[in-house]
Amino acid sequence: MQEFARRPVTEQARLRAQLEAVVAVTAAELPSASRIVLDASDGTAIVVLRNPQGALRLAERALTAAAAGLPLSAGINHGTVQPVGGRNGEGMVGDGIAVAASIAELASPSRLLISRSFRDALADVTPGLEAALAVAGTFTDPGLRRHELYSLDKHRTRRRERRYVALSAAAAIAFLAAGVAFRVSVEGQQNVVDAVVAKYRDTAAQGEKYVRGWVEKVKF
Amino acid sequence: MAKKKQIGRYKILGELGRGAMGIVYRAEDPNLDRIVALKTIILADDAEGRKDYHKRFFLEAKAAGKLTHPHIVTTYDFGEEGDLAYLAMELLEGTDLRERLKEAALSTTEAVDIAQQVADGLGFAHERGVVHRDIKPGNIMLMARGQVKIMDFGIARMRSADFKTSTGIVLGTPRFMSPEQVAGSPVDNRSDIFSLGAVLYEMLTRSPLFAAEETPQIAHNVTHLEHVPPSRVNPEVPAMLDFVVARALKKDPAVRYQDAYEMAADLRTCLAELRGREAASGKDADQNVTKTVKLESTADKAPLAPASGAISPDTRLPLSRQFDSSAALQRLARPSSRDREQFTRAPRPVGLFRRVTSDAGPRLLFAVALSSALAGAYIAFG
Repeated sequence: MQEFARRPVTEQARLRAQLEAVVAVTAAELPSASRIVLDASDGTAIVVLRNPQGALRLAERALTAAAAGLPLSAGINHGTVQPVGGRNGEGMVGDGIAVAASIAELASPSRLLISRSFRDALADVTPGLEAALAVAGTFTDPGLRRHELYSLDKHRTRRRERRYVALSAAAAIAFLAAGVAFRVSVEGQQNVVDAVVAKYRDTAAQGEKYVRGWVEKVKF
Repeated sequence: MAKKKQIGRYKILGELGRGAMGIVYRAEDPNLDRIVALKTIILADDAEGRKDYHKRFFLEAKAAGKLTHPHIVTTYDFGEEGDLAYLAMELLEGTDLRERLKEAALSTTEAVDIAQQVADGLGFAHERGVVHRDIKPGNIMLMARGQVKIMDFGIARMRSADFKTSTGIVLGTPRFMSPEQVAGSPVDNRSDIFSLGAVLYEMLTRSPLFAAEETPQIAHNVTHLEHVPPSRVNPEVPAMLDFVVARALKKDPAVRYQDAYEMAADLRTCLAELRGREAASGKDADQNVTKTVKLESTADKAPLAPASGAISPDTRLPLSRQFDSSAALQRLARPSSRDREQFTRAPRPVGLFRRVTSDAGPRLLFAVALSSALAGAYIAFG
């Protein structure tokens, strides 16, 4: 939650309760065996096991659900995590969490930023989904590593779908046209046209005969 | 020190206590026929040190003298006689918070009430540009009918100067000092807010915050250690107080409460909630909660989770108590052979074959291109 520490305590308590409600609703989509919810003083970290598309949907839904008054930003990263126990109780550590936290810190309100490693993991599990991620820039984390960041852009998926449909249509036209062109170049235009017309007539006659046969059967 | 019968115009009636700076006497002001507490401060021996000390003492005492507030001990007069500087102050009949904490634990309501009154007093002083610099249980006096007064305003600075040696090492017990104070950086009103946060924490949890055997370790804890939220130590503490304590104990003064009045307002809200709870449960407000509260074991205590900006690869984030993550933890602890392979494997680049078989767009393109190529071939050669 953006600027959480600077807000009045009554507001902090309200925002925290709101966030918990949002997380409860959104995390319920994931099976309990694939998510671990951790506390951060100004937000929540959710570790999702082997389900990048679930993690993406969760973050997306949380941001949508929080749009009404919760100054939420989100960061997603794919990286190493480890459960730890001991004197201070159970918890988790790891680069995966640290980088996600830095990314979330960087994101503006209601915005989701995604690391390159998460994009790769998403592409590995569900190829094609990564097309919805647009390059948002690069940043250097506190460990001085540079990260390429992406943001979610649903229009990119639709544009990509349209592009593939157009490409498929163009490929179909090109191959068919190439076949026709080859035939014309070998046999001459008039012969090809005559052959096509003859073929058309044969086919039409056969079709007519077939339809009539069916009509007779129906009459009977 | 020889027993004195009179200091300035004040007639000494008896000794009230002794401290690091000097002796506190019960004295009589013959002019006003008033009984006062006369606090004496031994001045430095060397002329230069004494001059500097003298100057600062009068400056601070003058500033403190302007503070007339129900939650601040009133300074009536100050002066100097021989090797002693003295302050004539309102004589209080009560117990200081340090003694009170030794006697018995405070209820959460009492603790919040005390902290709120102190915050009000601090807010008043800060508004007038006076910073206490030594808020601790020993400087908070509890009076009859629950009134609280802050003691030693103005002279705390003199003492904090004494804490420092020529090498800059802070002496004494810095348990209630702010990180900037421990570091020897300039302090402002937010330092008092941190100290009040530490006092409130101790009142709520009955356990000392940042405690350690050695002073350098305490200083390190003040600067680096995140506290366990009070509600995890004492389940009677409402969650909202966790936020108040967390905000008061922020290591960075910029994100701490900027104003003691703001903290007082939050504490008043907590107090209203606590009193509402008590009224609802029909509890006696003076009930000693230590008899009924079940404390969590130390093993279950988790320190305050850090903010996202402070999370590093080795920062432990505690499990949320609102959500059950045991199934996933179990899965991590005992992964299936498939999980083990998947958890440890880095993402593979998507090759052409996987792209064509798994990605809808390229699959459509491939299927259409293949079928139209076959159709084209049929047209060409068929």
